[in-house]
Amino acid sequence: MSPWWRLLIYLLAAPIVGGLLAGIDRRLSARMQARIGPPLLQPFYDVAKLLSKERMVVRRSQSFYILFFFLLTVFTGALFFCGSDLLLVFFALTLSGIFFVLGAYKASSPYSFVGASRELIQMMAYEPAVLLTAVGLYMVTHTFSVHEIAALPSMPVLLLPGVFFALMYAMEIKFRKSPFDLATSHHAHQELVRGITTEFSGPILAIIEVAHWYENVMLLGWIFLFFSIHWAIGLACTAAAFFLLVVVDNACARVKWQFMLRSAWYVTFVLGCGNILVLWLLEMFGILTLKH
Amino acid sequence: MSGLQKSPWVIHYDASSCNGCDIEVLASLTPGFDVERFGIINTGNPKHADIFLVTGSVNEQNRDVVRNLYDQMPEPKVVVALGICACSGGIFRECYNVSGGIDTVIPVDVYVPGCAVRPEAIIDGVVQALGILEARRAAMVASSTAAGVMMIQHATAADLPELLTVQKVAYASEAEIYGDTSLPAMRQSLAEMAADFGRMVFLKGVVNGKIVATIRGYNDGQGTAHILRLSVLPYFRGRGLGRRLIAAIEAEFPRVKRYEIFTGHRSATNIHIYAKQGYRRFKTEPFNANVEWVYMEKKSS
Repeated sequence: MSPWWRLLIYLLAAPIVGGLLAGIDRRLSARMQARIGPPLLQPFYDVAKLLSKERMVVRRSQSFYILFFFLLTVFTGALFFCGSDLLLVFFALTLSGIFFVLGAYKASSPYSFVGASRELIQMMAYEPAVLLTAVGLYMVTHTFSVHEIAALPSMPVLLLPGVFFALMYAMEIKFRKSPFDLATSHHAHQELVRGITTEFSGPILAIIEVAHWYENVMLLGWIFLFFSIHWAIGLACTAAAFFLLVVVDNACARVKWQFMLRSAWYVTFVLGCGNILVLWLLEMFGILTLKH
Repeated sequence: MSGLQKSPWVIHYDASSCNGCDIEVLASLTPGFDVERFGIINTGNPKHADIFLVTGSVNEQNRDVVRNLYDQMPEPKVVVALGICACSGGIFRECYNVSGGIDTVIPVDVYVPGCAVRPEAIIDGVVQALGILEARRAAMVASSTAAGVMMIQHATAADLPELLTVQKVAYASEAEIYGDTSLPAMRQSLAEMAADFGRMVFLKGVVNGKIVATIRGYNDGQGTAHILRLSVLPYFRGRGLGRRLIAAIEAEFPRVKRYEIFTGHRSATNIHIYAKQGYRRFKTEPFNANVEWVYMEKKSS
């Protein structure tokens, strides 16, 4: 399939898939808590509702930042699904995250500030794991191109279990799940109000929500790369990983940010770097060849 | 599709409840009642909420809090008073520090009595609120699409309280620009406005029977018509209502030589609108530490 077709499918299907995933997530969570839970299409109802609400902003420029957050998130996903460079995807995503933080800082409110600084700490916590993912995938496949990695009939996770674990740890942060839903959360936690999204309401909040759908679809794409031997196996493993994220979300209480930062870096450096070190040693002593 | 009825997000505030009703509100969220089945989420953030649930009577300490939470919720919104204390003050009605039910501070749409109110009654109250919410949204859509057919009429003395409200709501954004709530338009009382009404021409812009904009002006007898207090409700801005009101008030004074209008020096939108109507700035005058008035004039054609 040509990259343009993939781009078109991504742009149209990602919000639908992302919204359904959010619905599945909420329903699964409800079932795990012995509740019935909302309808599967609830996230779509929520967004439709938000779009019909009054436009209310603290400063008008905050919507401008959120618009860029949305565009850059979609752009990042487009790069990924067009099969572009993995490093470029990671850095573009960081940029979109920064716009989100700027939007929150623009609305001068203490809740929003706390959320924004926590978001920055979260980025600090997960970025090393994300970068190691690129390094690890390069070692195994000798390319940064998403297209080529996905096309290889290989199972990178077999050689990169440590890196994959570190990435899953980062995913728990990225998906805004407990125990790391510090900056904002999709559930009704009250002590932070809604952190980084506190000062956004109505249509702007709807845009943030849809941006998260796009983002989540792309993040699941990253997981898919580790299981790209066959598309069916890849999809099954990605779905299993998503289920795992929801289970952990419901099984854990929120931790302090110090713990999140420290543990994320420990996991990344011990398991991620350890994994890469072992691969490098094995290759140096000729026990393993990573040539394709 | 509005989705409004399928995704009502609530905010719950305990005004001065004994916690009996609050426990029942939380009980509605638990597996036994699970209001998330209907898409109801307890947000804890007024800016995300559609329905304001208040328990307990209002006392002198939290009048402002209740008012503030209500003001921070985006339209359309509804208020549900939960429990007999929130409805009428209940057994605390006669207390020296209690003002009474929630409706002494903000407009209440649904009253759910009970001591304590049962979760079934809470859910029933919220479901009734949904109908009102949908009606409000429909009214909002109707008035926004009807903005183009705004009627401009002479205001009557009976309109004055509504005009004052429109003026104060409209000038809130000006007060925000300067960080100063002491602007004359914000401070004006009804009596002062009535005095103005005696010597000025008041126009009102009406959409669907509701006043959404106003302007006034007077002839100083020396060939100049002074135009002031252009107020358009925030929801109706950017649709050319201000421009139409300026044209209408100018037409009220056909024999003057020039028109004069003024605004604050940092009100870029106002200055832009006036400039587009042919006004040129001719002097500035300091008003207080924060604001400098920019005077603009236009020769009569």
